[in-house]
Amino acid sequence: MKVVVFGMNHRTAPVEIRERFAVSEVGPVLQKLVDRPEIAEAVLLSTCNRVELVVTTDNPDAAQHALVDFFARELADGALPARTPLREMTYLWHGREAVEHVFRVASAVDSMVVGEPQILGQVKDAYRAATEAGTCGPVLSRLFQRAFSTAKRVKNETGIAERPVSVARVAVLLAKQIFETLESKSALLIGAGDMIEAALVALDDHGLGTRRVVNRTPAHAEGLARRFGGTAHGLDELDRLLPETDVVLACVGGSGPILTRERVEACLRKRQGRPLFLIDIGVPRNIDPAIHELDSAYLYDLDDLQEVAASNEQERRREVERAERIIVEECLHFEGWLVALQAVPTIRDLKRRAEAIRRGELDRFAGRLGLDEPRRELLEQLTRGIVNKLLHAPISRLRDETDREAGLVRLEEARVLFGLDEMPESVEELAAEPEADDGDSESSV
Amino acid sequence: MYEFQHIAAALYFAAGVGAILGLVLPAPRMLVVARIGLALGALVQALAFATLHRLDPAPALTDLGQAVSVMAWLAVIFGLALIARIQLSGFIPALSFTAFLAAFGATLSQGGGATAVSEASGGVPHAHVLLASAGLAALGLAGLAGLFFLLEHRSLKRRRSVARRIPLPSLEALDRVNRVALALGFPLLTFGVVTGVLWNEARLGQALAGGMHETWTVLAWLIYLGLVGLRFVGRQGARQAAASALAGFAFLVFAVVGVGLVS
Repeated sequence: MKVVVFGMNHRTAPVEIRERFAVSEVGPVLQKLVDRPEIAEAVLLSTCNRVELVVTTDNPDAAQHALVDFFARELADGALPARTPLREMTYLWHGREAVEHVFRVASAVDSMVVGEPQILGQVKDAYRAATEAGTCGPVLSRLFQRAFSTAKRVKNETGIAERPVSVARVAVLLAKQIFETLESKSALLIGAGDMIEAALVALDDHGLGTRRVVNRTPAHAEGLARRFGGTAHGLDELDRLLPETDVVLACVGGSGPILTRERVEACLRKRQGRPLFLIDIGVPRNIDPAIHELDSAYLYDLDDLQEVAASNEQERRREVERAERIIVEECLHFEGWLVALQAVPTIRDLKRRAEAIRRGELDRFAGRLGLDEPRRELLEQLTRGIVNKLLHAPISRLRDETDREAGLVRLEEARVLFGLDEMPESVEELAAEPEADDGDSESSV
Repeated sequence: MYEFQHIAAALYFAAGVGAILGLVLPAPRMLVVARIGLALGALVQALAFATLHRLDPAPALTDLGQAVSVMAWLAVIFGLALIARIQLSGFIPALSFTAFLAAFGATLSQGGGATAVSEASGGVPHAHVLLASAGLAALGLAGLAGLFFLLEHRSLKRRRSVARRIPLPSLEALDRVNRVALALGFPLLTFGVVTGVLWNEARLGQALAGGMHETWTVLAWLIYLGLVGLRFVGRQGARQAAASALAGFAFLVFAVVGVGLVS
């Protein structure tokens, strides 16, 4: 049984191609995929940055063709643009590389923003959807469980997710360095655009207190205020609202700064030394940079936040090396389990073959010797003991070796040595097989 | 009995190391362990104070080493009370190592610098040492909060704060500690000065003997009177309050300890 991954991500395909493969209803797609004889189990991960099929198969070559075909026929939404080099936009991993890839994805090492927290939730959703669709068997279940624990280890043992790398998250972290808690704090949003909304979402995650939206067009302010449970105001109310505000978020069109040094100075006097955190994400800037010189005012503009975010991103990338070591370690554990799992049918076949031979021989000789029931029972025990003792060593070796690469080779050797792949169907056929030539018999002389 | 001081010092040291590890790794559980270590250290140090009288000769509470040790112990108690209410994880290492130095130093001084306590003074000398130590401990915490505030403020102004590995408490939390510690420390210091005056009266027959320690301590008290006025009446800004608390404590330490060493 091998794990195979086939898909595309933000590095291999542009968004206009990726979006054509995005899947909203995963269950029916997975059902179709596992209906193919080459595919045993399947999980589909579809996010804005990647579309990936993770499957298990006994025949990787056939599975590869099936996956390419499935991807192009079943996943593509409508016709692809002419001359789309789909092969160059996709990747295929199998065996250890596939396992490593799944672990890297879950640990956010393979993400566009390294260490981002959303991907683990998305992988968990994909796993849940496959489990509900009944396409996730024991191997993929184990693989994904291991991927989740790997992601947890990477998060806890490295600094990969420690520093925020989005402008909004950096702003939240800065706010937390100024204020003990955001719950009792009041935010004033100047503008009502997407940037303001993204920053507000991040601040809101940390339980921001009151929100007031100020905009030139009050109707826009009202929309945003309604969505986030705040109040809408006109720009003329700015001076009244400012002294009651702890966090100012500004991103509004216009040529000159809306918040001047004098305006904020007057506000700070009324605030009696309480700190004021100002985030200016407007271009051109909406807040006079000289405000940062005031004692209790902390002003960060888009460049400042982006600089912090970029340096954090670099720090995170330095942590990737440590994360990769954890992934390799976890990958070895999973492979060990997979090899152990593959040893089970070989051991079962070996035992079945030995038992069939024992039973066949016993039946043959019990009749000839005319044994009564108690004696037959004794002979039964004797032969079972001999077989068990003979099998003990090879079975132990097979089990002991399963946590190494060599285990797979040994399993193959065992199947060849004991003829497990050419095992006769019936006991009679087995009993009729020629006996082993020990080299000491007269016939060999 | 000094064994208890040694154990307390060891616990403070371990708490300091644990807190640094907790902040650097970061490992929140280590911070909890550090807080427990700090509390255990304070408990063992209390035992040490309770059993000091069994020593022969018993060290006087007026002994400088013991007074500093009492001060550090009280600072730990105040600190733990604040940490329970305010997010001050970044405070624990500084508090732990200060307490370690004070507890360990007390075992080394063993009677050096003790002022003679006459029978006529009654409990006044002990009350003076305890109240002054408590005042110093609280004002020390205010100074420490001031120092951390200035560091945090500086890094935020330089826009470097997010890149720092060890997180400091928030500016707001530090300002709160500063305010609470000043509000608590100044009355205690005042009582310490008053009991010092009473002790002088009983010992020398005059309230102010004009010695260096008395003069500088009264000066320090006057400075703190001004700081408290600015902070609670004059509505001083948080950064100025932090700088004042730090400078005030430095002056107070010089008045209480430094003057004795210089003269």
